[in-house]
Amino acid sequence: MGSRDILNKIRESYGASITRADIPADNRLLLFINRDSVKPLAGYLFRDLDARYCAGIGMDDRPYSGDFLVSHDFAFDRENVLASLIVPVPASDPKIPSISEVVPAASWSEREMRDLVGIMVEGCPNPKRLVLPDGWPEGNHPLRKDVPWNYVPEDFDDRKTYPFDDPPPGTTVVPFGPFHPTLDEPAHFRLYVEGEFVRGCEYRGFMVHRGIEKLADSVMTYNEIPMLAERICGICGCVHAVTYAQAVEQAAAVKPTPRSEFIRTLMLEIERLHSHALWVGLAAHILGFDTLFMQSFRIREPIMWLAEKITGNRKTYALCLIGGVRWDITPDLRAEIRRVLDRIEKEWKGVFDAVKGDRNIMARSKGIGLTDKQLVKDFSLLGPIARAAGVDIDARRDHPYAAYDKVEFNVVTQEGGDVWARIVVRVLEVFESIRIIRQCLEKMPEGPILAEPAAELPAGRIGTSSVEAPRGEAHHFVVTGEENRPRRWRVRAPTYQNLQAIPAMIKDQRLADMTISLGSIDPCFSCTDRMEIVDIRTGEMRVWSREELQAGTTTITRRRS
Amino acid sequence: MKGFVAAFFYSVLNLVLVLLVAPLFDGITRKVTAVVQSRKGPPITQSYIDLMKLLIKEDIEVGDSPVMQRFSALLSLAAILSVALLIPMGASAPLAGYADSILLIYLLTLAGTSVLLAGLAAGSPYSLIGMSREMMAMMTLEPLIAIAIIMAATHAASLRLDAVFGGAGYPGTHTPWSGILILGVIAFALQAFVGRMPFDVTEAETEIMEGPLMEYSGPKLALFKYARMAKMFVYTALFIALFVPRISTGFYLTDLLVFLAEQAVLMLVVTLIAATHARYRIDQVVRYYIILFILALLALLLAVLGS
Repeated sequence: MGSRDILNKIRESYGASITRADIPADNRLLLFINRDSVKPLAGYLFRDLDARYCAGIGMDDRPYSGDFLVSHDFAFDRENVLASLIVPVPASDPKIPSISEVVPAASWSEREMRDLVGIMVEGCPNPKRLVLPDGWPEGNHPLRKDVPWNYVPEDFDDRKTYPFDDPPPGTTVVPFGPFHPTLDEPAHFRLYVEGEFVRGCEYRGFMVHRGIEKLADSVMTYNEIPMLAERICGICGCVHAVTYAQAVEQAAAVKPTPRSEFIRTLMLEIERLHSHALWVGLAAHILGFDTLFMQSFRIREPIMWLAEKITGNRKTYALCLIGGVRWDITPDLRAEIRRVLDRIEKEWKGVFDAVKGDRNIMARSKGIGLTDKQLVKDFSLLGPIARAAGVDIDARRDHPYAAYDKVEFNVVTQEGGDVWARIVVRVLEVFESIRIIRQCLEKMPEGPILAEPAAELPAGRIGTSSVEAPRGEAHHFVVTGEENRPRRWRVRAPTYQNLQAIPAMIKDQRLADMTISLGSIDPCFSCTDRMEIVDIRTGEMRVWSREELQAGTTTITRRRS
Repeated sequence: MKGFVAAFFYSVLNLVLVLLVAPLFDGITRKVTAVVQSRKGPPITQSYIDLMKLLIKEDIEVGDSPVMQRFSALLSLAAILSVALLIPMGASAPLAGYADSILLIYLLTLAGTSVLLAGLAAGSPYSLIGMSREMMAMMTLEPLIAIAIIMAATHAASLRLDAVFGGAGYPGTHTPWSGILILGVIAFALQAFVGRMPFDVTEAETEIMEGPLMEYSGPKLALFKYARMAKMFVYTALFIALFVPRISTGFYLTDLLVFLAEQAVLMLVVTLIAATHARYRIDQVVRYYIILFILALLALLLAVLGS
């Protein structure tokens, strides 16, 4: 079933709501619908057609069409179709009905578009702020086109705090984060604890939101944005660069060269290898099993060196450009990659053998952080979380991109939906990644690694792209624009969906299991830290500058040669 | 008078031994752990350096009751050092003539109590959780060592320390069923007594951020860390005193070396177990302790019945 069949099916019941339908490709569907039918139509897609919710996008389109635009993106995983329900919202009355009631997974996206674009979402179950800081004045929406990228509101109120709910009776509040040894990035969970049991929690995150999307649509250019996209995540940055590039390529009908598609696939899998090894290590550390932590990191290290040999950097590969890649795989590298893969495969088998029968690890991870198929459906949970609950989704197979349709691999699933199942899924996926990289080396065609640049990309085109990051599907939405940059670029990282299910996963569990439950989704909040020095005697505060941090890191990591 | 001088002399010897050698043993365990984890690891002297660094740091007073915090830090080391005076280390127990098994049990419990005090005095939510965990663990764990000591006393038909120690864990005459049982129980519990993985639930860095100790820094933290190292030294010494028959060559130095070698073996075992296990959860830990507790009671019953 392609996008045309899905369109026909939707027309049967909701033909009158659709004002325009575009099919830019056989696996993409853009439905322009009227505002009142967004809730029933979203419900129909989500429940009756069993589509997965990808992301909600709010956009200030006033300079171009005079309206705001809202898009709710859905994925038809069995049919390989990404569909966008696009709703024009009049500038004079920026309101849209909430769909969270029928599509719980849309909750954060709706709160985000209200915060950042100022589209009021009527009937939103949680009216509190999601993204904007507490002191940010009301009625000030940074993603609107008339707000400059470096705007700082004068009436920012530093003393304003988040209005947390009252804890349920009989519970005490245990703050978890923003600083916690197993939570290396800032996010705050206010846990309501009764004895050793967590009875509920409230989340407040987005503490170091960097305004990357704003920067992209006002300062950067098409080919600079992949570098920015890469810095969205310190672990799976390449994923975001590829997702962005593919979304632009899809919007502007640019075809990346065949060789570059293989190189993208190869680097994405190298990234998955190091990410999974890192996660297994961190999960072991959270459980107090530091020997596995250290061994896992030791096995991972050659992968980092490999990435450095290919791209010049252990992480943030600066790989992607619109239409191709920057770095080629030379014959020398090919041999080196094979050698490293053989070694990792052997050592990882050792890890698998050690872990698979370890009753000690099972005692800490079985039945912990439970999800079931219903929860996966409701919050559109992704990646290893979904696969560990027996939901067989993987964007690499379901929405093939780059060279994934030219390689063979298995999608690893487990039943159980607990931390143990997630460990098994990730450990086994490492072997599949090794398989994919080997096939890439074999099948990679010769040829250029970058397509001839187009004179100018057409403006006003919509492109979407999904890429399977190590922690789940990353979804990007792009509207091409003028001045060599997109009008709107929306990033939905996998943690965005998975994190929304944490309150359900930790409820009525022991406090001791909180860290591994949260760790099991491999959360990625911002991948940002900054260092502030406060002199407690004078109260004077100073933030480390970029130059100081850079000088510091080079002193620490300078190689002994 | 002569007895008093000897007691004083050996007391000082034991204290110096614990304070000097415990960090060395700690350094060795860190090195062994590093080797297991394919790391280089810190130099063996690292634990001395850590302690010195902490001791010369500024003493910051935070939390609800700074006085109580200072007291609990002092108490933690003081209690474990007092225990060191009642346990033979190379020579017989220095203060054997001035104390008995009951006092020993009291002092051992006091060492655990100092952690409770520390958590209570710090008053942060994580400290309190750590404290409640320590309390749960203490209630099921501490009786084990008490039972072991009482059993040895039953076998020796005396509460005198010099009678209880020297391998009195076993009855003298026939197949030592009760002794073997309690030896097994204490061997399985040793890991927990010294607070090493998989039983370090009270501190559990990745769960509750060192629990009772999270608010402590500088000299106070140094004392807690010192106490932790001393605990390892003292509990292994206690284990040897209870279950390993003493071989006396008549020379203090050779006896001491034999004793340290026995300790080193025990610590190596503890370290290897710690390096190959994930932390159990508090409920799993308590269940484990309770099973040991029931076995220990059984051993006590056997001992009372005379086998």
